[in-house]
Amino acid sequence: MKTYVAQRLGIGLLTLLGMSIVIFGMLRLAPGDIVDILFSTGGYVNPAERAAIERELGLDRPVWVQYVEWLRQIVTGDLGKSYRYDLPAWEIIRPLIPVTLELAVLSLVVSVLLGVPFGVISAVRQDTGLDYVLRVFSLAGLSMPSFWLGMVIILSLVAWLGWIPPVTYVSPTENFWLHAVQFALPSLAVGYRSSALIMRITRSSLLEVMREDYIRTARAKGQSGSVVIWRHALQNAILPVVTVIGIEFAFLIGGLVVTETVFNLPGLARFLVEAILWRDYPIVQNLVMFIAIVVILSNLVVDMLYGFLDPRVRYGN
Amino acid sequence: MATRPLGVEVAGVASALRPPGAGTMLARFCRKKPLGAIGGFLMVVIVLTALLANQLQTHDPIATAAAQSLARPGAEHWLGSDHLGRDIYSRIVHGARVSLIVGLASTLLGSVLGGFVGLLSGYIGGNTDLITQRVMDILQGLPLLVLALVMSAALGPSIPNVVVAISIPIIPRAARVIRSSVLSIREMQYVEAARALGLRHLRIAFRHILPNTIGPFIVLCTAQLGSAILVEAALSFLGLGVPEPYPSWGRMLSVSAAEYAQKAPWLVMFPGLAISLAVFGSNLLGDALRDTLDPRLRGA
Amino acid sequence: MKRSRTASAQVLVLAAGLGLGATLASAQTPKSGGHLNVMLREDLAQGFAVHESSTISTSFPSLPCFNNLVFFDQLKRPETPDTLVGDLAEKWSWQDSYRNLVFFLRKNVKWHDGQPFTSKDVKHTFDMLREAPDAPAKLRINPRKDWYANVDAVEAPDPHTVVFRLKRPQPGLLNMLASGYTPIYAAHVNPATYRTSCIGTGPFKVKEWRKGEYVDYVKNPDYFVKGRPYLDSLRYVVIKERGTRIAAIQAGQLDISFPGETTKTAAEQLKKAVPQLVITPVAQAVSDNIIMNVKKPPFDNLKVRQAVSYAIDRRGLIQAVHQGGAVAGASMQPKPYGVWGLLEKDLAALPGYGKAEDMKARARKLLGESGVTPQNPLRVEMATRAIAIYVDMASFVINELKQVGIEASLKQVETAQWHAMATRGDYQIGANLTGLGVDEPDANYYENYACGSPRNYSQYCNEQVMKMIDQQSQELNPQKRLQMLTALQQKIEEDAARPILDWKLDYYTVWPHVKNLVPHDNIYNFGRMADVWRDK
Repeated sequence: MKTYVAQRLGIGLLTLLGMSIVIFGMLRLAPGDIVDILFSTGGYVNPAERAAIERELGLDRPVWVQYVEWLRQIVTGDLGKSYRYDLPAWEIIRPLIPVTLELAVLSLVVSVLLGVPFGVISAVRQDTGLDYVLRVFSLAGLSMPSFWLGMVIILSLVAWLGWIPPVTYVSPTENFWLHAVQFALPSLAVGYRSSALIMRITRSSLLEVMREDYIRTARAKGQSGSVVIWRHALQNAILPVVTVIGIEFAFLIGGLVVTETVFNLPGLARFLVEAILWRDYPIVQNLVMFIAIVVILSNLVVDMLYGFLDPRVRYGN
Repeated sequence: MATRPLGVEVAGVASALRPPGAGTMLARFCRKKPLGAIGGFLMVVIVLTALLANQLQTHDPIATAAAQSLARPGAEHWLGSDHLGRDIYSRIVHGARVSLIVGLASTLLGSVLGGFVGLLSGYIGGNTDLITQRVMDILQGLPLLVLALVMSAALGPSIPNVVVAISIPIIPRAARVIRSSVLSIREMQYVEAARALGLRHLRIAFRHILPNTIGPFIVLCTAQLGSAILVEAALSFLGLGVPEPYPSWGRMLSVSAAEYAQKAPWLVMFPGLAISLAVFGSNLLGDALRDTLDPRLRGA
Repeated sequence: MKRSRTASAQVLVLAAGLGLGATLASAQTPKSGGHLNVMLREDLAQGFAVHESSTISTSFPSLPCFNNLVFFDQLKRPETPDTLVGDLAEKWSWQDSYRNLVFFLRKNVKWHDGQPFTSKDVKHTFDMLREAPDAPAKLRINPRKDWYANVDAVEAPDPHTVVFRLKRPQPGLLNMLASGYTPIYAAHVNPATYRTSCIGTGPFKVKEWRKGEYVDYVKNPDYFVKGRPYLDSLRYVVIKERGTRIAAIQAGQLDISFPGETTKTAAEQLKKAVPQLVITPVAQAVSDNIIMNVKKPPFDNLKVRQAVSYAIDRRGLIQAVHQGGAVAGASMQPKPYGVWGLLEKDLAALPGYGKAEDMKARARKLLGESGVTPQNPLRVEMATRAIAIYVDMASFVINELKQVGIEASLKQVETAQWHAMATRGDYQIGANLTGLGVDEPDANYYENYACGSPRNYSQYCNEQVMKMIDQQSQELNPQKRLQMLTALQQKIEEDAARPILDWKLDYYTVWPHVKNLVPHDNIYNFGRMADVWRDK
């Protein structure tokens, strides 16, 4: 077990290293850098001043030197300074993490609360009208652009009620109900989308399990239908669902980008878009690495949960 | 009790043995998978709209007309017009072309490249496989939209660049699917036999293994097409996607749509519906195809 | 006789009634206290470093923190020499035929950190701006250096007196000092710190700047105007999504809109939903214009450039792109919004202002003389910034050009590359927006039309025009100056290096409980917030 975790972490580290090269390279591929953007806010360009700013920000050094410097900074825990805000990147990113984390967790909860029960009902009532309705409903969620859903929600609210959720972040200690309302809508929007995949997997894995011999045996033994389903079938069907939840988490983060923008929530995803537009390399690099770490860790957790739930899986295989 | 003449009986058996024609297969598919049939129908409608855009339009999609600003849906403008007086219906019709081209191109590009990588990686195995898998992990470690965002910013706004940007996140996903398919086929007997016969590896890979990955490949493509269309819409919405003047469903939803939405809700409703229907159709079709072509993947 | 007496009696009563009404309105006693939420369309570009940026996203949210030497009266809409009032300066006077400008500064003014304000701060600011050889500090980016090209020296003979010594007379300098782009920095503070925080003398102190989210201001209890500011606090909220922005002000989560943000159609929509909103149409001092690279074919040919100008129906554009929310004008903002703009009768004679068909016919004729025919159309690439307001305008222009035989394809350029491309002249023709920090011809012409100026994107350099620019800059008589400027504007439009298409209007929106926030005909120069108060 320990060797398995160590192995996975080792591989994860290598993956992160590779990812750092990819993200570093891609950003510098982008035409224009922070200096161009600074001058564009000034409305003119001056080569001499440009060179001075490049020197100040360390952009005149060779690319590989900048890369090594960045790695060295990360290893020592220094996340660098934002080019745009001239402040330590960590200071700027830190207050954003709880917002995105809360939104992601709430969305995941919504998606599980919607997806699993719908999947079960759909499987049990396979090929009936109810099954079709649920499948269509769930698929519709997967097909709608999440930013469109968000936009429609906000515009409908202001048109019918003359009200929208708060546009500045309200912390739960400040006003719990307002905070709840502020996060409820975006979580519902994102969660509805994510629930589709979970519903489908729940349905299909439950269907497969229900066909298995031991289920038929249990039925033959006379155990009542719902007991069979809940005790045996669901227990075993849960495994692929857990895997998918892990995959969904990464998928979710993409959805958060537009949702945070439309609902004006001060989270990581919205900030990431801004930072990309501003070519604020330290912020983008560190945020993307942060997301990658979260994804790798969540994959590891899911795999371990998988193994924990199913003793048939052997590690290190 | 009348017995059937022998000739008819033989003919009946013979017809039962003949492989079913395309029309019969289609009818069977529609009966067994009605949702898939609906999906297929939607996709056909969209493809036809894209192909016949010039014939289907009622106005020039990029022509402005001040007097028609924010006109309600009606006889003149079937789906209304935007703040510059451009006909929404015609823009949606042409937007189908853009969304479909970008979606298909990026899906195919990503799937083919990824499939190729997966095929080789799965067949060769060993260290090559290990390294390739790590590289794929790297690309997959990032959410689709984030990667596409960075790529798009890196490459700049133009249709080819958007296609590349969206295709890159698809590569690892395609590689993974094809690779697992290859892994299972590789051990099968007829491949062993081919190897025993001394056929070159490349030949084995392409002639024997590849054809059997077509099924999962098609399923993969239809699954990714929906995502590709959505990502293109999101990129355009954020301003990093398909540039003017090409009408893009996603860009129709940015900026002015939301600003004037209360006066002209059709600005927001119709492009969003178009995107949703296209993705919905592709997903329905993909699901049905997957169930039909490869029952093993039903749980995946 | 009797009738006229009754009539005059009626007039008197009416006048008295109006006067009473006006007095009542203005005599509404301002209440102290309260908080207001202000709209921001994006986060501050360079923090509060107004001197290092050229965008309203930095200047507008910084206004409450700073003071100028002189400013335009915040309670009056027009910006004219009559509405120029003292800010940190109590009195000023021109000496030696507009060669020296002397300011007598207020006493007992303190910076937000408690340090006293003196003439040293003024000298420091302007030495830095004009990049004097012995300047104590340097700005990383200095977009308005040209505004001070004529300043020979800035002297601070005593702690409350400042003297600007000019190389030649320049009455316009005073206007440039009144722009929202000309706040006074503190001498005891490194100018780089303004990118993250703000030490000013203004009515509000920065309490917190949550990056990407909002800026919180609190009342400055030591503000040098007693009894001001009325408000306790302000919050400038960043909302990047346009739909969400409009929904926010409609729902009352924002009290005050961002200058230049509300189009005519959006205003109509808002008014319909919330009839009590106060909407004031004002000019923005922002113009739509076409830049053409005069150093490269085909636009090195004067006839081709003039054809472009003739082809674009100005009034059609105003209707199509702005739904009527703009006005026609040449290179200075037209009357009544600006002081120096051309009159209607002079405009009518310029290319693009007459009947659309006639104008297009003239364009075709000019192109024909340059070898462009329907069989041999001119193909060019029109560059524009990848932002909706640019793209909409460019699309309309492309349509107009098509009708006279110029096939233009649209090329969208990302913000990061736009100015570099334009300054380098890496384009043929472009659709552009230009904002003027103040309605002062010197600021406009030296920045945008002077030979060699980095913002002269057209690379336009005309000896005669330079002479005219210098001449009007030194002209002391306002009437004569106006005549010179009329001739200058006409000549510039005839040379068609940078045809002006229109001047945009803003439908400035506030909630009715916001009092004393008077928008100006220039988006950069109002919003100090010292006199604004909240009713209920």
